Amino acid sequence: MDNVIVTGASRGIGLAIARKLASSGYDVTAVARRTSDELEAAIAAGKGQAAGALRFAALDLAQIEAMPEFVRQARRDRGPIYGLVNNAGIGTEGLLATMPNSQIEALLRLNNLSPIVLTKYVVRGMMAEGRGRVVNLSSIIASTGYNALSVYGASKAAMIGFTKSLAREVGRLGITVNAIAPGFIDTEMTRGLDDAQRKRIADRSALRRLAEAGDIADMAAFLIGETGRNITGAVMTVDAGSTA
Amino acid sequence: MTTRSIIISQIQQVAAEQKKTLAPLTDDLSLLDSGLDSLCFAILVARLEDAIGVDPFTASAEVKFPNTIGELIAFYEHVAA
Ligand SMILES: NC(=O)c1ccc[n+]([C@@H]2O[C@H](COP(=O)([O-])OP(=O)(O)OC[C@H]3O[C@@H](n4cnc5c(N)ncnc54)[C@H](OP(=O)(O)O)[C@@H]3O)[C@@H](O)[C@H]2O)c1
Repeated sequence: MDNVIVTGASRGIGLAIARKLASSGYDVTAVARRTSDELEAAIAAGKGQAAGALRFAALDLAQIEAMPEFVRQARRDRGPIYGLVNNAGIGTEGLLATMPNSQIEALLRLNNLSPIVLTKYVVRGMMAEGRGRVVNLSSIIASTGYNALSVYGASKAAMIGFTKSLAREVGRLGITVNAIAPGFIDTEMTRGLDDAQRKRIADRSALRRLAEAGDIADMAAFLIGETGRNITGAVMTVDAGSTA
Repeated sequence: MTTRSIIISQIQQVAAEQKKTLAPLTDDLSLLDSGLDSLCFAILVARLEDAIGVDPFTASAEVKFPNTIGELIAFYEHVAA
């Protein structure tokens, strides 16, 4: 079965993606700094099923130096890596004028430098194999803007630029690179929003509701599957019509 | 197989797959004139990492790409040794 690495898969959107891919028959490695009860439950539930497998691998993605060995080890243990979902990210809020530089740097490191360098090492293997799929998590904030999310917005827009150019670079080798731009999804990242804010976002969306983690997972599975073979360099918006 | 023969055969394989016409592979042939483009070299480095077990471009801090076939081979022999 094809191997897929999903980063930030201990909870939220990443966990939903990992679950969906495992149940679609992929061999999924869920990466995060530490595992979680939900991930462990998903791993246990998948055991003995005919579908794919799900396992946890600990990695702090801020440790850029650890990446070459992490990828080498994954290839040694499991064989070629077919898919990479760069989902891990942080959503630190703050007005730019008062945001500590250390926070700005940490955000850009985890949301940009980490996925770019991880992709570098994973995509090489894909190039050697002549096949592969990369999916990057962007956000509708990359193009809409949101108060107190300027640095985050910059980091998510950067992933779109990365996606488009890399798609051009590796397309000839049968590798696709796409981005997903979710609207607001109920996860730990957005727990700072209160019910009134959530309702306001939902009321403004065409479908009068919020998209869910499962919807993002379905899109990721579509892009990674045979279904995505002629889609590359694209940004797939899944936001219940927030930006319609 | 020696490091040299692995590299030469991988170059030939990548060229064939990417439909590139190779110049005769002598040690002083410039990589720019070899017939391979930058994407081919990226594939080559990935394949050699699997075949030889090292990626000298990650292993060493200074990442100056070799200029000739001979330098490329020496680069790998040096790291593999
Ligand atoms: N939620 C939304 O509304 C929304 C909207 C648009 C886009 N997105 C994007 O979707 C992605 C996932 O968001 P989410 O809401 O699911 O986030 P989340 O619930 O906060 O989960 C983040 C995941 O990333 C992992 N992670 C964080 N720092 C890490 C590090 N240094 N090393 C390794 N793993 C790390 C976390 O695990 P550990 O903490 O255990 O390491 C966790 O599994 C992000 O890229 C986000 O920008 C989210």
